[in-house]
Amino acid sequence: MTNLIFVSAIVLFSIAIAISLFRVLKGPTLPDRVVAFDVIGVNLISIVAVLSVVLRTKAYLEVILIIAILAFISTVAFSKYIERGVIIDRKRNR
Amino acid sequence: MTENEIVELIAALMVLLGSIMAIISAYGIVSLPDVYTRSHAGTKSSTLAVLLTLTGVFIFFWSTEHYISIRLVLGIVFLYLTAPVAGHLICRAAYNSEVKLEDKTENEQ
Amino acid sequence: MPVQFLLNLLIAILWVFLKDEDTFEVPTFVAGFLIGIVIIFLMHRFFGTPFYLKRAFSMLKLLWIFNYELMTSSILIMKQILIPSATFEPGIFSYETKLKSDWEVTALALLLMLTPGSVVLRISPEGNVFYIHAMDVKDTKPMVLKSIQLYEKVILEVTRP
Repeated sequence: MTNLIFVSAIVLFSIAIAISLFRVLKGPTLPDRVVAFDVIGVNLISIVAVLSVVLRTKAYLEVILIIAILAFISTVAFSKYIERGVIIDRKRNR
Repeated sequence: MTENEIVELIAALMVLLGSIMAIISAYGIVSLPDVYTRSHAGTKSSTLAVLLTLTGVFIFFWSTEHYISIRLVLGIVFLYLTAPVAGHLICRAAYNSEVKLEDKTENEQ
Repeated sequence: MPVQFLLNLLIAILWVFLKDEDTFEVPTFVAGFLIGIVIIFLMHRFFGTPFYLKRAFSMLKLLWIFNYELMTSSILIMKQILIPSATFEPGIFSYETKLKSDWEVTALALLLMLTPGSVVLRISPEGNVFYIHAMDVKDTKPMVLKSIQLYEKVILEVTRP
């Protein structure tokens, strides 16, 4: 019973990722794509968490932290790129 | 039904609720008209969805294997702190690079 | 204020000694700490400073508000997505805050991101004017302004007790 619920939750999360992938491909501007990309990262975290319940293992729980950190940092880097055109500022007073 | 099974069922229902919310917010990302309204859907509902899912998984591991996962707690705290920050950063970048607003938007400043 | 915390710790340690158990037991220490909290709360007017847990209490209140706003705002957004009303008008308005330090402004911006129907677009370089994008200006603007007042009050309770 509970196993069935968890498996159907994984299917629903995958459908959500597929829908947001449509916005990544279509989105007219770059910020659109980054918002959709952020949502994909968040859904990926949920899939990993539910997968570790279905397989009854605790080995995948580190992956959650790593995906969360990577998704956040890539969003920050993208937004800096959109705003300034560069990712790493070199502050030189010339 | 024993007590443990009831707790497991509650955890499973939380995960299911989270997945339904994730689908609704993904649909919102496709259907809403411009970047700013899309980021409303992207920051709020999907954050609540992933928090519900992680809390459900945490409760499940706690009740079945008596295992309190520090990694899950850290992940929940990290998502709490970073989800609004990421949403604000991407909105600000879009506004500063003059992505155009939807036509009927009122702009008073 | 540190004096009150140290006194509380002293009461807890005394409680552990007076219990006279064979080994150090954590539950006993926690019980002593709780009793210390009650004693310090009854006596705190003699110290001349406010009770030190008042700040922790208002932090808990802030966390509760954070969760509550997350719930209500995502329900509102989902309603808007599933039943799109034909008349909704997104819009931008500005708000000038009276909060000063960086920490306070950051906390207010984080809370505003999660309020029903508002996203902070940009903060002026002086850090006191917020430009807020609302999902449905006519409906949500009075609601957002009302909740900003509440946040400012709670944040001020945490930072300047």
